[in-house]
Amino acid sequence: MRKFAMLTVLVFILSIISVSVVMAQAKKAAPAATKEPIKIGAIYDFAGGCHMYSESGVKGIKIALDEINSKGGILGRKLDLVVRDTEAKVDVAVREVKDLILREKVNFLIGPCSSGTGLAMQVVHSEYKILRIPPIANTEAQTVDKFTPYVVQVVPNTYMEAIAATRYLNKKVPTAKKFCTIGPDYEFGRREETAFAEEIKRLVPGAEIVYEAWPKLGEKDFTAFITAIMAKKPDAVHGSLFGGDLVSFTKQAAPYGFFEKTPFIALYDFPVLLALGPDAPEGTFGFGRGCFFMDPNPKMMEFVGKYRKFTGAYPDGWAVQNYDAIYLLKAAIEKAKTIDTDAVVKAIEGMPFEGLRQKFTIRALDHMGTVPCYQGTIAKDPNYPFKIWKDITRVPGDQVIRPEASVREIWKKTGVVR
Amino acid sequence: MSFDVLFSQFMSGIARAALLFLVASGLSLTFGVLRVLNFAHGSLYMLGAFLSYSIWKLLLMPVLGFYVAAIIAALIMAAIGILIEFVLLRRLYARGWPEQLLSTYAIVLIITDLVKWAWGGEFLSIPRPRPFTGAVSLFGFPFPSYNFFVILLGLGLVVFLWWLVYKTRFGDIIRAAAHDREMVSALGIPIPWLFTWIFVLGAFIAGLSGAVTAPFGSVALGMDMEIIIECFAVVVIGGMGSLPGTLLGSFIVGEVYAFGIMFKPELALAFIFMVMAVVLIIRPWGIFGRPER
Repeated sequence: MRKFAMLTVLVFILSIISVSVVMAQAKKAAPAATKEPIKIGAIYDFAGGCHMYSESGVKGIKIALDEINSKGGILGRKLDLVVRDTEAKVDVAVREVKDLILREKVNFLIGPCSSGTGLAMQVVHSEYKILRIPPIANTEAQTVDKFTPYVVQVVPNTYMEAIAATRYLNKKVPTAKKFCTIGPDYEFGRREETAFAEEIKRLVPGAEIVYEAWPKLGEKDFTAFITAIMAKKPDAVHGSLFGGDLVSFTKQAAPYGFFEKTPFIALYDFPVLLALGPDAPEGTFGFGRGCFFMDPNPKMMEFVGKYRKFTGAYPDGWAVQNYDAIYLLKAAIEKAKTIDTDAVVKAIEGMPFEGLRQKFTIRALDHMGTVPCYQGTIAKDPNYPFKIWKDITRVPGDQVIRPEASVREIWKKTGVVR
Repeated sequence: MSFDVLFSQFMSGIARAALLFLVASGLSLTFGVLRVLNFAHGSLYMLGAFLSYSIWKLLLMPVLGFYVAAIIAALIMAAIGILIEFVLLRRLYARGWPEQLLSTYAIVLIITDLVKWAWGGEFLSIPRPRPFTGAVSLFGFPFPSYNFFVILLGLGLVVFLWWLVYKTRFGDIIRAAAHDREMVSALGIPIPWLFTWIFVLGAFIAGLSGAVTAPFGSVALGMDMEIIIECFAVVVIGGMGSLPGTLLGSFIVGEVYAFGIMFKPELALAFIFMVMAVVLIIRPWGIFGRPER
């Protein structure tokens, strides 16, 4: 009988232990299971010239999310991605952003590509207090003129980009005094050329801009612009053309001997050089926001490997900056230990970050990252089946970022209080 | 301002006019006979450009590749033209303008998504074919030889269309049908068959002009809308359905744009539409057009 009682007690004790173990495990597992994923809304412009940039950007986001999720997510929460298309239209952008916030209940936004749609959606998500990182659209208005705490910038804005490119052009052709400009006729081009005009007049006393060409975005025939520019016989030309427009311009300008006669700088980044192939003009200058040949550091080259495994192609800068944007968000959330927007915004201010383009800091004043700007000279390279750059300059962002006093001066005019 | 500078700018305008004429002539032709305003004409042009790129890439022929690709692409577009005419347009001739515009706009959306699906958003480029890679000297000013090729092709198309419309029996029928559809039908000429051929010819021209622009600039999404708006300006100025009108319209739009760019670049595009507005006020049916009966 005693033996039986002993056995009963033993079974009882064992069952209690096992139940408590199971419960303990359940307790451990339960929060993970009920923890909702963090939702990221990628809003991009899948139309016209922005289509390709947007596609690359989303690929960069996906690679980052896969990596983070395979290592357990952020704060133990997985990351979910919802991708939306603005069709490069302002009204659609506003509608889609509202839908992402209200119906999809996204926690953070990434995008878009066009400075136009970017400014349009800024009003909406700021009202709903949702943070957006625009890794492609870079009009300075997002962080300066129309500052809102709910935007953080990880690419050089139009001001920084143009200032850095102007200095490179000036370094390469120090004697140039007479300039022409050519920029796409919308927010981005206007801002870049304004910054160029400011900087070149600071660098070269007596510098003169003799002609400004404003082709519409998506122009196919630049012939008349080219002959008009060449008629002015400028010492150098600053361009903010990019993408397919720059491909067209380059092919149409070459037979005129434009590139032999005129030092020229424009956004000759990787996709443009790839599309131009043998037609890419060697010796002409380019500026860009950072891709593998502009900044071949170990972290960047590791990303190249991952990207090529994922897509079979070399990544352009647009994938790089979107990848960085996700990791910046991760760092900020982990610092804030919450996904509450205001806490994350607070954490991000003044936060140092090391990404594919090495170290930079998010300036607390206007949420502008001190991200590097790159310039170079188009050249052949035996290591790649396409042309890349030589004489590369990497300008750290703090050398070209708009000074605080200047930002505050603009804020006085636009009514931003901070 | 010296003569050579102005002449060079004038030639830039001619080059643009040639390109516009290539596209607008097809648009004007289909409208003149079919009385359908084909909003999708620019999309056929875009598809032709993308097709020529892919065919050129497949062919791997260093010299002839582009020319062969351009012709194959234009023929494929002609085949797609048959399909569109049979499936959709045929049902629209008797309908009103709003339905015609909506339906052809549907084709615009379909082709845009088709291109997105098949080629993605990348911008593509074909190098200029030999022997048109360089430039020739015109009064000491360089002029790209490929632009000459485009101008010659435009002139060739003018001559061909003029011959077709004014010198052949087919042309007689076309002009008669444009004038009085029922009468031609009553004479025992199969109107549906005639319309199919006209539309196919228009699609062929659209495909060919798309292919011709591929080495000129870049092949990218959005090129359809970019061109169709200017082409509408061309046919409105010159007169819908008129061949000489389209030629004159292309010339006016090309030159106004070229000199606008030189003297007042901010307003270059606006000048074109100002000219269009003036023409619409004075001659609503265009310079060479006929008033609608």
